Amino acid sequence: MGTHHDCDVLIVGSGAGGAPTAAVLAEAGLDVLVVEEGPWVDQGAVTPFSLEQMERQYRNGGLTVALGRPSIAYTEGRCAGGGTEVNSGLYRRPSEQTLERWREGWAIRDFATGDFMALCDEVESALSVQTVPGRHTPASERLRAGAAALGWAHDEIPRWMTYPEGDDAESGQRQSMTRTYLPRAIAAGARVLTDTRVDRLIVDRGHAFRAELTDAEGGPVTVDFADVIVCAGAIHSPALLQRSGLRGLIGRGLAVHPTVKLAARFGEAVNVSDDVPVHQVKEFAPELSFGGSASHPGLIALALTDAWSTMRDAITAWPEIAVYYAAITSQGRGRVQALPGFRDPLVTYRLTRRDRDVLGRGLARLTQVMLAAGAREVYPSFRHAPIVRNRADLATLSDRFSATAASVMTVHLCSTVPMGDDPEVAAADSHGRVFGTDNVHVNDASLLPDAPGVNPQASVMAVALRNARRFVEARR
Amino acid sequence: MTIPRRPTPDTTVVTGAAGWLGTALVHHLVGTRDGAIVALVTDPSEADRVRAVDERVTPVIGDVRDRASLDALFDDDHGVTDVLHTAGVIHPATFDDFEAVNHVGTRHVLDAARTHGVRRFVHVSSNSPFGTNPHPTDRFRNDEPYAPYLGYGRSKMQGELAVFEAVEAGLDAVIVRPPWFYGPHQPPRQTTFFRMVRTGRFPVFAGGHQRRSMAYVDNLVQGVELAELVETEPGRAWWIADERPYEVREIVETVGRALTDEGFDVAPNRFRVPDVVGRLAERADSLLQSRGIYHQQVHVLGEMNKNIACDISAARDELGYEPAIELYEGMRRSIRWCIDQGLEL
Repeated sequence: MGTHHDCDVLIVGSGAGGAPTAAVLAEAGLDVLVVEEGPWVDQGAVTPFSLEQMERQYRNGGLTVALGRPSIAYTEGRCAGGGTEVNSGLYRRPSEQTLERWREGWAIRDFATGDFMALCDEVESALSVQTVPGRHTPASERLRAGAAALGWAHDEIPRWMTYPEGDDAESGQRQSMTRTYLPRAIAAGARVLTDTRVDRLIVDRGHAFRAELTDAEGGPVTVDFADVIVCAGAIHSPALLQRSGLRGLIGRGLAVHPTVKLAARFGEAVNVSDDVPVHQVKEFAPELSFGGSASHPGLIALALTDAWSTMRDAITAWPEIAVYYAAITSQGRGRVQALPGFRDPLVTYRLTRRDRDVLGRGLARLTQVMLAAGAREVYPSFRHAPIVRNRADLATLSDRFSATAASVMTVHLCSTVPMGDDPEVAAADSHGRVFGTDNVHVNDASLLPDAPGVNPQASVMAVALRNARRFVEARR
Repeated sequence: MTIPRRPTPDTTVVTGAAGWLGTALVHHLVGTRDGAIVALVTDPSEADRVRAVDERVTPVIGDVRDRASLDALFDDDHGVTDVLHTAGVIHPATFDDFEAVNHVGTRHVLDAARTHGVRRFVHVSSNSPFGTNPHPTDRFRNDEPYAPYLGYGRSKMQGELAVFEAVEAGLDAVIVRPPWFYGPHQPPRQTTFFRMVRTGRFPVFAGGHQRRSMAYVDNLVQGVELAELVETEPGRAWWIADERPYEVREIVETVGRALTDEGFDVAPNRFRVPDVVGRLAERADSLLQSRGIYHQQVHVLGEMNKNIACDISAARDELGYEPAIELYEGMRRSIRWCIDQGLEL
């Protein structure tokens, strides 16, 4: 038979979308059950950005791949708190232009910029979003110095961090969902079921009433509910809806920020393996942004694999090396398709010619920042890449770069169930109710109409608060 | 804000003095500074042309490909000397001239300048070492990674690298980077451009939304002179162009208007070309150049669907550069010059 639960509202997923949703609903007195596929891991129980963390808190032990030319590797958190537990915690509001583009292009109702920014204020307060009060990590400082030497615009991105034990970047404590919205939801009576995966929703003529789940031991679980809010991220939300027989535009508009990387070797120690840089170069934004990546030795090895034969000797110098990325806003789009019999959906993504050009120029410009920052050697991450030591080598880099030879990856996935009142382009209404249903909602990165050009989780949390409040009002 | 300048030198050496930019530069110099002007030219007819500009101009017949011929440019008793190195080849007779003139030739002039103790060396480079912008609103910043566009771009990049090496070795050298320029003293081949617009047969790719920076030749002359006279760190390089990039369709429309206002009958431009033709031309150009062949029409066609746009703010900030002439006025002056020369448009 298996286990059975009843609840008023089932929330699938506990990340940047699900956790704020659960807090708002539970605090409004609704009977909430949150189901999370991954485990609950307290902050501090594993080293940030470590391989152990990848194993325990990421989907598929770290990387999954979107097929295409080139294929794009992506990472997703799979744990209580989702991506907020494992990512860099970098927080950026969407620009007013982005909000306007979404409002106009997708006919989103009740989406005034001022209201949205007020929600951002609220998120920032709830998560203690702030800049580093003290010293930055050496790798972050190098990026800043390189941009400053070139006269290129750059700034520090605030993070959801507190600094109770010291002002420097390395003493920050991440204020992720397991420390903020999830405890609030639990305190208000929400139940959280971890290590349990939702296989499908039973939907009858647009009305869902039951979910079929699998627990950690493989046993069946059922949940009956009045409403369901799917917050499983931009890959798994559309996949679950598709497995539940809901199709239409769902899963079609996948948007990402494709990134390419390099490893830069300096003449002195710069590597802080358990933290990431907080500076970003915004000179070419929104089309192109540069930042720093996690740089523990395993990830440096990963960044060097494309040209392992020429670069493997550098790995022993890992304390002098840090990894940086160039991210672009892409004109390409991808697709998520649930396949019968497979646990993970098929994800495809196509870069346009313009995207490939911007990636190439972006990698070269980022390399130039590194040279300006005093890097002795730069190892761009693509097959047959040269080691860059001076400006003449930059020409060789540009000459040899090909996006199809690069390790293109992304951590920002969105737009697979875009919201808005225009059914030609949206898959859910202006507040996330899936078209063709009366009680199936989405409330996560899938709703963002396109990629915001900045770290998207501020947008995700603000949208989640907005839609959750609307849901509560509609219930009254 | 006025930026302090050095006094003009006792002697100004101009290479490529009979070329398009060189001629404009010599005309400007004779009207604005005292002292000797020494002009490197390649043959007696060029020597006659530069001598006709002003009696203070001393032509020296030589060739940047021949290092020994360059010592005659310098007379070590003639006081403070600056070099304005405009000699270069963009549409060469043979592919090998790219390397021989733009790279090795620049090394020769640098070497001669260092040997003879010049004060400042201004090298005229190009946009071509930097390739093309990856999307229409992108602008080349003052410092960009090299991504040379074919043979010309590679040779101009090598020329720049030679300048940086000379700076390392102690020469006070700087670089000016003009994009596509236009204006009086143009070579005869450039009348083709006006004729294509006048007859409505200028190839416009995919709506003509590509952005191009252009430099009116007198704006460029201003930039070269500022680069010479403003005291800066050696090894600096600046974009020198008109105030803003233009869309290709705007260029065609503006030239058409300028021609009309000068009394020409201008046929409406109907020559719309699909993007793929530009890409094929680019590939053909690349293939030909890989075999050491240079074909001007194919090259120009292959480049026409590209964005090549730069940001001149560093030249403004550091040199006080202010481009005075914009596209319409520049094109009218250019057309009038052609008429005065009796050139048929």
